[in-house]
Amino acid sequence: MRDEQLSPEQSLQLIQSMINKTRQDMSDDAIYFLVWGWITFIGCTGQFILKNLVHVEQHYLVWWLVPVGIVFTIWQGRKERKNQKVSTYVGESMKHLWIGMGISFFVLSMILTKLGWGSPVYPFFIMMYGLGTFISGNFLRFRPLVIGGVLAWALAIGSVFVPYDYQILFAAAAILISYIIPAYLLRQRNKSVHS
Amino acid sequence: MFKDLDPILHSQLRLAVMSLLISVKEAEFTFIREKTNSTAGNLSVQIQKLKDAGYIDVTKQFKDNYPQTICKITREGVAAFENYVISLQSYLKKD
Repeated sequence: MRDEQLSPEQSLQLIQSMINKTRQDMSDDAIYFLVWGWITFIGCTGQFILKNLVHVEQHYLVWWLVPVGIVFTIWQGRKERKNQKVSTYVGESMKHLWIGMGISFFVLSMILTKLGWGSPVYPFFIMMYGLGTFISGNFLRFRPLVIGGVLAWALAIGSVFVPYDYQILFAAAAILISYIIPAYLLRQRNKSVHS
Repeated sequence: MFKDLDPILHSQLRLAVMSLLISVKEAEFTFIREKTNSTAGNLSVQIQKLKDAGYIDVTKQFKDNYPQTICKITREGVAAFENYVISLQSYLKKD
């Protein structure tokens, strides 16, 4: 690009093309949704199967997948930061939203450890999944995530009406609808934007 | 011609730099060079002009032992960019 005088039309075209270029460079958030989507989905369905079908007493051990996800997230985040040449407001907002969500999940787990895990916990978890994906979908202007968030809220309400052991299946369904399916669609969109 | 248009912004490369920086929090020099497809020498000169006008902040630091130049639009830069776009729109309406 040389330093030339422009007509007003050319100026507007230039502004538009540059803004589009930064939009294309948004980091690929789909990987985090996929990893955490599958970890929590396997956790929920695994715990349901171990508890209700196989009758394993230590059915909760399946949640040891969570530390694996944390290690992966830290490793991936470091790798991205190393190669990062641009920092966007959307990227920063997403980072803070999901750090906050992660801390909230941890706090909720601590509260429930005190209250006892037999209390109806899953509607609260599902409601929070909905909140996270609804906000993320609006940040990224990606409708499937927004719809996923709304459906998760509906599932949170629905889960109240089923026995405790089956609420976990509502959580698995919420994760599938609000994380996993939108994440694959998001990845597809990112690929088509980059190509 | 175009006498109301801010001369700092009414140049191809400087406008391209400002358009990139308006939509991000901050960007590395190498990112701006890739996106604007400009030479390092010319880009340095234009970035210095934007910095002198108070439109951008330039921070030089080290990352993994490599020098890194980070550019960020200032509040004055955002205001100037907005005024520039408004002036452009009024020119286009006249036509």
